[in-house]
Amino acid sequence: MGLTSGIMKRRTFLKGAGIALLLPRLESLGQVVAGESPRRLLTVVNHLSFYQPELIPKTDGAFKNPPPLLGELSNHFKQLKVFSGLDNPAVQNGFGHTPCVGILSGYFNKLQRKNRISIDQAVADLIGEDTRFKSLVFQAGENLNFSQISWDKHGLPVKQIDSPRKIFNLLFQVNENEKAQQQVLAEDRSILDAVSAQAKSMEKRLNATDRAKMDEYLTSVREVEKTVKRRAYWADRSKPQVDYEIENFDRKSVDDYVGTLMDLAVLALQTDSTRAVTVQVPFWEGFKEPGLTGNYHDLSHHGQKPDKLKKLLKLEHAILKRINASLNTMKERTVGNSSLFDQTTTLITASMGSANSHNFDDLPALVFDSRMKSSGYWRRKDTPMSNLYLGLLQQFGAEGDRFGESTRAFDLLA
Amino acid sequence: MMHWRWTTALLFFVLSWGLLAEPKLEKFFAQNCVKCHGPEKQKGKVRLDKPLDVLFAEEELLETIANVLETGDMPPEKAPQPKDEAVADVLQILEKRILAQHQDNPLKRLTRDEYTHTLHDLFGVNFDFSGLLPPDQVEHGFDKFGESHLMSPHQVMAYLKTARFVTERLLPDNKPETRHWDFNASHFHGSKNFATGGGGDYRDGDDYVLTGFRPYRSNLHFSIDPESHDQFVIPAFGVYRLEVKAHSGKSNEGEVIGINLGDGRHPTNFQMIRRIPMPHGSKGFTLQLTLKAGDQLAFTFDSARVPGRSLAKKPHNGPAMRFSHMKVTGPLVEKWPTHAMQVILPKPDMKPGELVDHLALLLTQRPLTMEDRAAFVEIATRRKKAGASVIAIARSVLIALLTSPHFIYKAESPELTDVELAHRLSFFLWNSVPDTSLLNAARSGALGKDPSAQVERMLKDPKAGRFIDDFTRQWLQRDKVDDFGPDVRVFKNVRRMTVDSMGREGRELFRHLLERSLSMEHFIDSDFVMANDRLARFYGLPAVKGDAFVPVKLPKGSERGGLVAQAGFLKLTSTDFATSPIHRGSWILKNLYNENIEPPADVVIKEPDIRGTTTIREAILKHQELESCARCHSKIDPLGFALEFYDPVGRKRPEYRHVEELPVQRDGTTFTKKIKFTKVPIESAMKLPDGREVRDLPTLKAALMADKERILKGIIGKLISYAHGREVTRADRPYIDAVFKSAAKQNDSLRAAIHAIIAHPEFGRK
Repeated sequence: MGLTSGIMKRRTFLKGAGIALLLPRLESLGQVVAGESPRRLLTVVNHLSFYQPELIPKTDGAFKNPPPLLGELSNHFKQLKVFSGLDNPAVQNGFGHTPCVGILSGYFNKLQRKNRISIDQAVADLIGEDTRFKSLVFQAGENLNFSQISWDKHGLPVKQIDSPRKIFNLLFQVNENEKAQQQVLAEDRSILDAVSAQAKSMEKRLNATDRAKMDEYLTSVREVEKTVKRRAYWADRSKPQVDYEIENFDRKSVDDYVGTLMDLAVLALQTDSTRAVTVQVPFWEGFKEPGLTGNYHDLSHHGQKPDKLKKLLKLEHAILKRINASLNTMKERTVGNSSLFDQTTTLITASMGSANSHNFDDLPALVFDSRMKSSGYWRRKDTPMSNLYLGLLQQFGAEGDRFGESTRAFDLLA
Repeated sequence: MMHWRWTTALLFFVLSWGLLAEPKLEKFFAQNCVKCHGPEKQKGKVRLDKPLDVLFAEEELLETIANVLETGDMPPEKAPQPKDEAVADVLQILEKRILAQHQDNPLKRLTRDEYTHTLHDLFGVNFDFSGLLPPDQVEHGFDKFGESHLMSPHQVMAYLKTARFVTERLLPDNKPETRHWDFNASHFHGSKNFATGGGGDYRDGDDYVLTGFRPYRSNLHFSIDPESHDQFVIPAFGVYRLEVKAHSGKSNEGEVIGINLGDGRHPTNFQMIRRIPMPHGSKGFTLQLTLKAGDQLAFTFDSARVPGRSLAKKPHNGPAMRFSHMKVTGPLVEKWPTHAMQVILPKPDMKPGELVDHLALLLTQRPLTMEDRAAFVEIATRRKKAGASVIAIARSVLIALLTSPHFIYKAESPELTDVELAHRLSFFLWNSVPDTSLLNAARSGALGKDPSAQVERMLKDPKAGRFIDDFTRQWLQRDKVDDFGPDVRVFKNVRRMTVDSMGREGRELFRHLLERSLSMEHFIDSDFVMANDRLARFYGLPAVKGDAFVPVKLPKGSERGGLVAQAGFLKLTSTDFATSPIHRGSWILKNLYNENIEPPADVVIKEPDIRGTTTIREAILKHQELESCARCHSKIDPLGFALEFYDPVGRKRPEYRHVEELPVQRDGTTFTKKIKFTKVPIESAMKLPDGREVRDLPTLKAALMADKERILKGIIGKLISYAHGREVTRADRPYIDAVFKSAAKQNDSLRAAIHAIIAHPEFGRK
């Protein structure tokens, strides 16, 4: 194990600042040891769901006559488990699209605007220490703050990035002014120290409710401190270079939007910039497929009208085609001595059963994993989604036996 | 937190048990409610068979019980009904209990709007910071509620970054260099008809002609090199002067130029920052804008029509805006050191402690405690030891203070101190911190004794415009008026600026009533409307000149007047080509009656099968067939249906036009999407739950006017909610009643109501 001079420099610097620091485990940086490929998680959420009669097979078991939407993913049938009928018992119906914020937590607390930890973050807490970003979460389109689906262990919202350009810059853009950045980060740390001292002294003078508010501030400041430390560590290290260009992005079609987000997700995993990526299919944007007018959200309220359904299905096929293409890419790309697909568990789910009736139960979930022994479809009527999440979490090495509203764990590798 | 509330409630309950232990209540619930809200069924996820102490701890539930008993919504019609006296008894017990509850008003933080205005008032920086901070959570229609103000690492990071951004720009190391740029027609670029490559904007001699508005497309941008399309980029933060020579062509009326930030060629993320009225005959405009490095400017010509998709390269005949020259100068430095620098560093060599005390007082109007002070002084001292300049030290301290809870949060004592009272008042009427005069009045005790002089002064200050703007934006959802653009194929004559004017009408009515001390009754119905040139034309009223709103007396027989007759309301509650009676009805209940309507917890929205239904009425009445929906929809639907004679853009219509899109046909030179209209008669009459029939706008307004007291109290409730930053509950009834009575003595004046809110003792409580 050789320490690079960069790391030495950082350690000295930090000693000087007199701050204890959690440094990532150094041996794992940038080199994947044979036989010990890291595990990764790719989560894809489509808030408007898919038209389930064309996605979910009629009978349990192997995929014999896959419905048309599912057919888009036939390349991966040997590594795919499909579930339907799942629900989030703690997510209430009503309130428009707001309950979609609870999809990955299986919980939705309308009044407090806080939530329980989401599955992508629970996994990121287990596998996210060694990379530049603990996780990356993409928002479902710009300015859609109610698509906040990622929540940290304090139940606070995780920052979601809303434009492909920003995501790209974050991952691959070279920062030219490293030294100035280090100075800023050092100053940030002393400021955070000062303001958390303030919050503590202010807390003493507040009543119980206000103290809870101030506690939220304090907790947030502590999390930011950790982030700043992590940034200071990574600021000395150059970002990976990729041969990828973001097109002039004008929100023209599903291909443009979902495709770009999926490409970036795959690149983020491939370059080991992070090991947990969450992608949301934009749903309030005016998609314009060639020869098809209307916006996606509007079409999802199809009222069973055949012409609207036809258009909706066209969009859904385009979305799944792009996801399928990304899964193919993941099979082609090798990281260390196995393919990216082999190292990654991919979950595709939806926050609604049907956007037409606006129900937040009867949810579909698709899990891709190269290690599974058997593939196929299982109907799991009224089973908590959290059971699937718990299965996922245990696969990533979690020791607990609860997640959200779980009653037991799915065995996803069986 | 729940724990605390719980224990306090329990303690209170135990102490007051003697007073409240009314076996009546338990008996009443057992007889009338538990059948559906008990061990067997838990309709609405509500159970009333719990011990009273448990029940009393659930404040919201108590409120709901009292409300449904009072309105007679429960027990449902089909069930056996309790005697009126029994209900009255129970209501009295509940009321007492609710009034005894302490109104929880959790710690609030600055909203984005408040942050922006506070920095403006402190340092004179005229910059909209809302782009740098995450959006504020909205609860019950307002973004000012502490309850919903969430703090997160993301939010703290944004505060830190914004503080750094502001500070580095307020306190630069060197005087910025002012530069000039000249642009003529050869530097301007517009957009061609993107679908066909023809038509669109063009160069004509010394002018560049902007012809139309295509959503996200038609934008005049400009480059330094005429050959290149690389858009001009603002090089550094500061104030820039724009001198634009432009005039309108082929138009006999005033036009409006919009200024956007964003890339004119790929405008996916435009931010409209300013609208410049161009009166007829205008030769251009000069204006100053605070811009940041990297900003790109583009102009739109709002008044133009959305052009068709003709493939032919025909000369443009419609209205046009001709740009001939533009000069950009900046960043402007009026004096050096700047105003902000002098405010921040009044003396050239301030010691760390002195600097911290000065800045803390400037930012929070309160001295820091010794304990809090130390951490800031340490930052300054450390920077000083490292050899930093005074300016650099001030920057560090300012960043820390702007990120600290002292600045971000509005801490309040149970009984507000004089300074805290000044803050509440100032955030209510100015969305910012108090000025010196208000602080002096607070410290001398004058404000606490009689706030009316300060309130008058504040309402007369132009800063009161922020209250008018922010309150009406949220109360009337003015910013959502243009969320769904009207389908241009169906609503051919609705121009963008008409829609923009619709969004302003509600604000202008509020402003007029406030400035003239007129009755709040005008929100329900009035014999005048506020209109500018476009809106007057749209409503078919006598012509008005110019973009500014003036009161226009309504001709006899006009149905306009009042909020529910405003095109803005009618449009915001509709989609791009259909009206939504449910939206309209619930908007009235929520925003005029201040009712709290939300779907019950256990409603399973069954997939409605709307095949075979031809009218909205049929489709919606299908929902009403379910008992669980009917409870609210019997109130919502009649209010909404009465407005069906007004189309999605707020024009009167005799019947529905069912719109159908026909398949695209391509024939030689044009391809057009054909639309087929089918006329369907409107059936609007419906009975309100109390039996009154409403069938059109006049009968609806008459019904609302009959409920005048309830509605005015609803509006007062909205104002109180906004001022206090919390939900208004039944416990606020005495407060609202007092304000209502006080305003009633002055002809229900809106201004009197605001005075009464502020003068009420409750305004001085957390």
